[in-house]
Amino acid sequence: MNILAYLATLLQAGLGSLAAYLAAHVLLCLLPAFFIAGALSALIPKQAITRYLGREAPKWISYPMSAVGGFVLAVCSCTIMPLFASIYRKGAGLGPAITFLFVGPAVNILAITFTGAVIGMDIALARIVLSIIFGIGIGLLMAWFFREDDEARNDAASSQAFTQGAKMSGKTWLFLALLLSVLIAGTLQVSLLTNSYATFTLPGAWADSFQGWLDSVVPPDPSLGIEGVSVHGVFLIGLLIFIAITAWLGLNEVDQEFNTWTYLVLGLVSLTLLVASFNVIVVAGGLNVGVTGKLMAEILLIGAIWWMAATHFEIYDIQEWLWEMWRFVKQVIPLLIVGVFLAGMARVIIPVTWIETLAGRNTVLANLLGVLFGVFMYFPTLVEVPIAQTFLSLGMHRGVLLAYLLADPELSLQSILITDSVIGRKKTAVYVVLVTIFSILSGLIFGWFVR
Amino acid sequence: MEIKILGGGCAKCERLEKLAREAVDELNIEATFTKVKKMDDIMAYDIVSTPALVIDEQVKSSGRIPRKEEIAEWVRVT
Repeated sequence: MNILAYLATLLQAGLGSLAAYLAAHVLLCLLPAFFIAGALSALIPKQAITRYLGREAPKWISYPMSAVGGFVLAVCSCTIMPLFASIYRKGAGLGPAITFLFVGPAVNILAITFTGAVIGMDIALARIVLSIIFGIGIGLLMAWFFREDDEARNDAASSQAFTQGAKMSGKTWLFLALLLSVLIAGTLQVSLLTNSYATFTLPGAWADSFQGWLDSVVPPDPSLGIEGVSVHGVFLIGLLIFIAITAWLGLNEVDQEFNTWTYLVLGLVSLTLLVASFNVIVVAGGLNVGVTGKLMAEILLIGAIWWMAATHFEIYDIQEWLWEMWRFVKQVIPLLIVGVFLAGMARVIIPVTWIETLAGRNTVLANLLGVLFGVFMYFPTLVEVPIAQTFLSLGMHRGVLLAYLLADPELSLQSILITDSVIGRKKTAVYVVLVTIFSILSGLIFGWFVR
Repeated sequence: MEIKILGGGCAKCERLEKLAREAVDELNIEATFTKVKKMDDIMAYDIVSTPALVIDEQVKSSGRIPRKEEIAEWVRVT
């Protein structure tokens, strides 16, 4: 009987964790983030960036552009490795290639927004700033350590491919800005956006008892970071299920043609973003619904996106965009759901004292442990975030957490092996040591700031 | 005619291959398809990023998925 009760607790913890991730604020960031990732991948010509990464590019351009390239081009690992290899062998050389390799996995748009929504803006910002600074730092150090090697290769293979230029058009900039604004308006906590400017009440005595039932199934536990499920949340989860079904029918073949389902799923996504922007509170006898500034901003922005997509882009571009977006969703979401569920269960299994003893304080050793955990445990993209949240709720120090979050996407055993096949054993070893040192330093510095 | 698809087997490469096969079929041209997946073999060509399309050892596109009409045009000219 005890085992059964324990299993029930585990299951409940997993479900609670899943439910928390489907809460409105996570939805409002993750849905637009996928659309942005798709747009970055489909609408920005790679040559617009790679033309700054050729052999002739001066250092003060190639290093920052490598970092930018990591952000824009590196949403999936199948783009990272070929680019890394060609920057190293035929382009700007070892240093900028390393910068690109380091920055890419750490600051892609999905990872950053997800970190921001789930763990906190402080860690997300630290992840961006420190990744860029250290990415350039590690690149410069690698280039200096192996400077003879780069000089030797200078005479060898040079490439014409980097000289092909391409420009981004004004409409693409504007479109990306609009998509980014949807994300920012949905997540920014300023009173202009979060205030309700009008409130109405939806009558219904069911709401109160329904919320009571939800609280008994998934009890909110702020100390563990479990938010519980609201009536609003259930409604959003329902919409998400509809989106999943219509997306399967409408987006799998979107590169061929738009069908009725395509319009339906796009409409449902827009609707879900709007519904999530309402401020819904359960009161006795009904639901209090607040019309927030966020809602009005989202209506304007989403309307503008529909208008631009319909009138300023060729249908082919839009198809490419949606196809890329859907590809990311299919690649990331199933693993993420499993990861979130397991991370919720781990919260119950791992004793708090373990984490507190090992990583509760911001020491060099604790940060090293955080990094090593990131190296030996390989988690698929984004799954590092719920894992990190579990650690946080179990008492891990925020500094150590950042060290782990920096090291995990950089240094899995798998990525070390691939890096090794491109730049060789000696350089890879130096790179791994540098990343370890810099991640520990980041953790220590950040931890010292937030103590 | 020999058509090569360069890229590590991700979804984009598969889509490029599918489009190229359709283009070739519609023109009724005989062609062999090869997938080049090893990094060293890919780097032998003058490209920066994958997926890339190579027709008779000439790089036609890289880092993007061209439209079917574009591919058909390259196939016709070659």
